[in-house]
Amino acid sequence: MKGLLAGQGFRYVLLCFVAAASLPLAGCWNRTEVNDLALVTGAAIDLAEGKMIELSVQVFIPRTGGGQQAMGGGGGGGGGGAGGGAQTLVRSGRGATIAEAMSKLQEKFPRKLFWGHTDVFIIGESLAKQGIRDQVDFLMRFPQTRERAAMFVSEGEAKKTLGFHPPLERSSAEVLREMSKSRLSMDVDLKKLAQMLSGGAGAAALPWVEMLPPEKGQMTKQSIPYVYGVGVFKKDRLVGQLDDIMTRGVLWVRDEIVKETVITITPQGTEGYVSFNLESSTTNVVPEIRDNKWSVTINIETNENLIQNATRLDVMSMKVNDSLERQLEEEIRHRVEEACSHAKEMGTDIFDFADDFHRKYPKQWNSVKAHWEDKFASLEINVATRVKIRRPGSTTSTGANRPQDEVEKP
Amino acid sequence: MIEKGKISALQMAMLTNPTILATAILSAPAITAKLAEHDMWLSPVWASLAGIAAVYLAWGLNKLYPAESIIDISVRIAGRAAGKLLGFVYLFFYLHVNGIIVREYGEFVVGSFLTKTPLGIVIASIVAVSAFAVYGGVEVLGRCAQIMVPVVVLLFIVIIILLFPDLNPENMLPFMEKGIKSSFMGALVPQGWFSEYFVMTFLLPLVADRAKAPKWGVISAMSVMFILVIGNITTLMLFGDITGTLTYPVLIAARYISLADFFEHVESIVMAIWVTGMFIKISVFYYILALGTAQWLKLSDFRPLVLPLGLCLASFGVWAAPNSEKLLHDLGTTIPFYLSAVQVVIPLLLLLIALLKQKLRRQNGG
Repeated sequence: MKGLLAGQGFRYVLLCFVAAASLPLAGCWNRTEVNDLALVTGAAIDLAEGKMIELSVQVFIPRTGGGQQAMGGGGGGGGGGAGGGAQTLVRSGRGATIAEAMSKLQEKFPRKLFWGHTDVFIIGESLAKQGIRDQVDFLMRFPQTRERAAMFVSEGEAKKTLGFHPPLERSSAEVLREMSKSRLSMDVDLKKLAQMLSGGAGAAALPWVEMLPPEKGQMTKQSIPYVYGVGVFKKDRLVGQLDDIMTRGVLWVRDEIVKETVITITPQGTEGYVSFNLESSTTNVVPEIRDNKWSVTINIETNENLIQNATRLDVMSMKVNDSLERQLEEEIRHRVEEACSHAKEMGTDIFDFADDFHRKYPKQWNSVKAHWEDKFASLEINVATRVKIRRPGSTTSTGANRPQDEVEKP
Repeated sequence: MIEKGKISALQMAMLTNPTILATAILSAPAITAKLAEHDMWLSPVWASLAGIAAVYLAWGLNKLYPAESIIDISVRIAGRAAGKLLGFVYLFFYLHVNGIIVREYGEFVVGSFLTKTPLGIVIASIVAVSAFAVYGGVEVLGRCAQIMVPVVVLLFIVIIILLFPDLNPENMLPFMEKGIKSSFMGALVPQGWFSEYFVMTFLLPLVADRAKAPKWGVISAMSVMFILVIGNITTLMLFGDITGTLTYPVLIAARYISLADFFEHVESIVMAIWVTGMFIKISVFYYILALGTAQWLKLSDFRPLVLPLGLCLASFGVWAAPNSEKLLHDLGTTIPFYLSAVQVVIPLLLLLIALLKQKLRRQNGG
């Protein structure tokens, strides 16, 4: 028994094994090196010929990566930047499903497509109108795609957004990713989209991408896609759109509004405008069922900083301050109410009130689950806002732009 | 005795911890979420009761026959023929279950990381590594666990902490929407895993400070329960209603981590947790299989059995299921009951018979 493993013969066999093991140890025979990969920075999914899926990918071209990105290379440096220095290329493939399109696409690349760094997925308008559930299934199922990738829906063909060569960023996908991070519109990643699509509200919203027309004198391709409001989905179909202002209202309800949001009002009893910068905001949504009447109260508490006073008002006076606060409250309430009534018109609960009811009233929720859409249409929405103006910025009073005697003292 | 090495009660606790946790941590959130929904974090609490029961069953049998494992104990209690048959059932059971475990390991590694490597290679390599550890005996295993388990737990906690910014506590509500029943239903699968604490029947005769063994056994089961609860709460807060639809929620959660734009792609941490945990788990089952077989055949050493059983083990791993879907389906339906039937129900019957016999003997004697 013992001899088998401890004997001389075994030692020689073992030695042979150890020697043989050193051969594949470096792992060279099955290696995939970076120069065998095509890094996909962004992907667009469109509908082609009525029912085919067209998958377009933007692939980073590593050769031109460094040099061409020199400061001002596009405009100031003799305009040679765009011609020879495209840093990305776009190709597309078609198939009945994304997976099939992907394999067709691979045939057009000498390198293996790598999806681990795909930060952006853009869905074309026509596909979005037909439904995106089956596409999201693939994105969640495919092991390489990441759940944090930002999702967008674009005006017209999504493929176009990938074709731009933005002057400022490396690729148009990078532009969209940065825009999504700044959260001026909604910031929806793949995980959140999957949650929206399977949630009780039966509605989803994705940031809406449009193309910025190029500045005069610039090449037509030297433009960028930009985010303007949100596209609204009922179940998984695109049914409408909210513009930028309305989207702010949605963000306010969802408690996703961010710092630096500027809000401008025209104060009563004087000419001109006053602009405020958002410092912080919290939103609290309280669902309530009383006598079988469903309602939600949206409590918004906001701190604002004054950043421009284009009126004669003395903003240091407590009285003016008070009245400005009330007017701001009114303005925010107006925006939120408008967003709510628009969402109601479309029949899409993009605020996810459904979940709020589900959490607080699970029993009642289960009885209306099947026809939540009707319930949402008749839902009473109350908005309560509370604004505090924190500080007036670097100057006081009316600022340093006006003789003191022109200031309206209350 | 066949095994001459001794371990401490603490080492035993550290050996059994990943024996339960390693498979549970990856698939528990998805499996419990399907049945328990928002109450999925409660399910491991109920399930741990099976673990504590298994600990005390192993302890109860060990008190009656301190030097023997279930293989010999069953002969003592049920008689020679029935006892040997029962012993064979246990050996086959541990071979089969370990085959399933090896397959789970292989499916995860091939499905999520080494997508181009043949399943057989992945399975054979982990079995080979385990074979070396098993060959070293129980002391080697104990020390491996002592070194690796704290690292595994630490890495797991790191992942959870890195996820904090993305967690949404509201996903936990409504609490007990469908009453307490759904969280019990969610516990049905994890209770099967917890019943694996019965492997202590093989380890207890080797524990030097045996008086502390039940205490450490329960601490070990509690720690597993605690980690599963934390894991479930985190995935629930992160994914909400879609937790049940993901194959490996913890893996996706780790992939979701993104701090300051550069701290990303840390899913390899999960791989590290899984591989180390699974190494211990497979080794413990493998060791039990080898030791049990030697006891059953009345051999003087278990070491010659290690390599042939390893070959069986790798084959059982390949045979365990035709594909990943079937494996996951079985893991969520029949296997938990298979586990607890062999590891809780049969030992319970044996213990009752033994106690009854003892009582009768005393009455006859007195």
